[in-house]
Amino acid sequence: MNRTSASAFVFALSMVLSTAAHAQTIPEKLTADKILELSDLSRNGWSDYAVRTTIENYEDGKLEEVGRFDVTIKGADRTLVKFLNADVKGQYLLMVDDDMWIYMPDTRKPIRITPLQRLMGDASNGDVARTRYAQDYSAKLLREEVLDGTPCYVLDLRAKRDGATYNHIEYWIAKGTDRPRRAEIYLISGKHYKSISFDKYEETGGRTLLTQMTITDRLRSGRTTIMKYDSYGPKELPDKYFNKDYLEKLR
Amino acid sequence: MNARALIAAALILAASPLRAQDLDYRLSIVDEGTLNRLNMDTPLNYRNGTVPQPDRGNIATSNLSLGVGGFSVLLNLSTSTDNLHSPDYSYSLRECSFNYSISDAWDITIGKKILKWGTGYAFNPTGVVEPQRSPSDPSDRLGENEGLDLASLDFFAGKSSITLVYVNESGIASRKWYRGKQQVALRAYTFISGLDLSFIGHYAEADRLELGTNWSYVVGDNLELHGEFLGKQGSSNLYDQIIETDDARQIYSSYPYAALYDHSSRIFYKVLVGGQYTFDDGINIAVEYYRNMEGLSPAQWKRWMNYVKFQSNIQRGLIPMSPELVDASRYNLLWALYSLSPRGSMRDYIFGREYWGTNPWGVELIQFVNADDFSVVIVPTVSYRISEYLSAYARLSVFAGSSESEFGSLFYDGILNVGVQVQM
Repeated sequence: MNRTSASAFVFALSMVLSTAAHAQTIPEKLTADKILELSDLSRNGWSDYAVRTTIENYEDGKLEEVGRFDVTIKGADRTLVKFLNADVKGQYLLMVDDDMWIYMPDTRKPIRITPLQRLMGDASNGDVARTRYAQDYSAKLLREEVLDGTPCYVLDLRAKRDGATYNHIEYWIAKGTDRPRRAEIYLISGKHYKSISFDKYEETGGRTLLTQMTITDRLRSGRTTIMKYDSYGPKELPDKYFNKDYLEKLR
Repeated sequence: MNARALIAAALILAASPLRAQDLDYRLSIVDEGTLNRLNMDTPLNYRNGTVPQPDRGNIATSNLSLGVGGFSVLLNLSTSTDNLHSPDYSYSLRECSFNYSISDAWDITIGKKILKWGTGYAFNPTGVVEPQRSPSDPSDRLGENEGLDLASLDFFAGKSSITLVYVNESGIASRKWYRGKQQVALRAYTFISGLDLSFIGHYAEADRLELGTNWSYVVGDNLELHGEFLGKQGSSNLYDQIIETDDARQIYSSYPYAALYDHSSRIFYKVLVGGQYTFDDGINIAVEYYRNMEGLSPAQWKRWMNYVKFQSNIQRGLIPMSPELVDASRYNLLWALYSLSPRGSMRDYIFGREYWGTNPWGVELIQFVNADDFSVVIVPTVSYRISEYLSAYARLSVFAGSSESEFGSLFYDGILNVGVQVQM
């Protein structure tokens, strides 16, 4: 091999290596925001849909409380949560954009509530009702790493609207499937607040969707919440169901 | 009336093409024991002699809510007993209505229904077609509120709605139809820039047109603020005539109530401002200030109280009178009690509620303060959730204030309620 041929070989090799290296990172058009948007599809199979959600609260491994909810989501910004437990039967939570109302059958009127007023346990209202992260957060790629054998993108999510459930999330998304795998949530102060692991995905209605996730409280040790999802399906409710004044007509 | 409505509701439900998945139901059964500590010194009920009150009792009450299609029924069955009365049974159809969705935008509702329009927690001046409630029991734990016979038309458009309600209180009593008061109310609601905003108009037969507004707004993650206003020119409220007389030594020979301000050009308003704050650990604090210009001023209350004391002294034999006048005075004392309202009889009130809950415990503290005489009702409640279906609670109501103040002169010094609730 002469010098010219050698140079050409090195050049070609470097091109191949550089292309290969590039293939290991995100394709040019797959931005962090796009990855986030794709990951939302694993939690939201349709634009308008309903899902039965079960929340189990554990304290030091002991099951303390179980809550069951029918969640109906319309588009990106409207969610209606029907409470199914006997002691809160007939209760509804309505979220429209960043605003929330709760309707209790005993008081017979929708009451405006603040984001901190929780459904139960460590699950915030947003954990149940705001599952389209791309609407609420802007994303930045921090790094790529292998999590439990799965190569993942690690995104840094920052709230871009007031109604976002959290201020700062570190978010692991599996490469190839775009499924969320893990989330570490931080308070504005920087304190580690919660860890979420996205445990199970199952085939439902022709799509692979999240069916179980676990929330671990990092501020109060021993507290864990498991959220289970089933009976996913498309469901389109008229707009008026998401008007605060329609709540008293629901059962 | 109730029996007919009950039969109608049963027929409607029986005739409906019922499928198990269409039927929504909710059942609550409460058994509550009560111990009362009587206020034996109050001139309203000296030595428990004017209107004898029990010092212990028990109530078992069940509320069954059924819904199928557009039909909704809410039925209450109760039995109560106390140390003065033999067991009493009662039932009431609290609601029986049919809602029909004409289109995605329009709904019509006909029947007996509880409608609540205000944004306040304990007080709702703009709740013009809602049942009256007690601020010391805003959640109506025994399910005593009943709906009104009404027809309503709703229009929904995005984040706005308009509701027109017609109420007719006519009915049948002792097999005879009677013509009751008719009311019309209109509410226009919108949600704009985070502000819940409603405008309300209400006219009741033989009363004045009332106009008002209510709103609520959330600031940040923790704070919610709300307010209500309702005003009208003049008032058709009935008042004991004694409130306009400085000489308390009066014995009326007939019912002394009259619409004293019916032709007044004064604006009678009710205003509420309040808010609630939720701490990061879940503790919730709600505070409301309420002013009702239809309530008695401190001067009017004093006149009324002096008059009550005068009648009470006659009953106690401290002021010698002929037997006929003693009899008449007794009626005056009984009539005077109509001036009392569980929502407060005077003008200015402050309500506070603190709540903390962590499964299975819930702790609530309510304060209902008369801001004119600083008497107060304090209601601590502890609840324990035994299971999803069963809970227990203990609730103490303490009435405090000077002997001539509103809450210091009530029939009780304290009430202890202990209950269990089954829900399914």
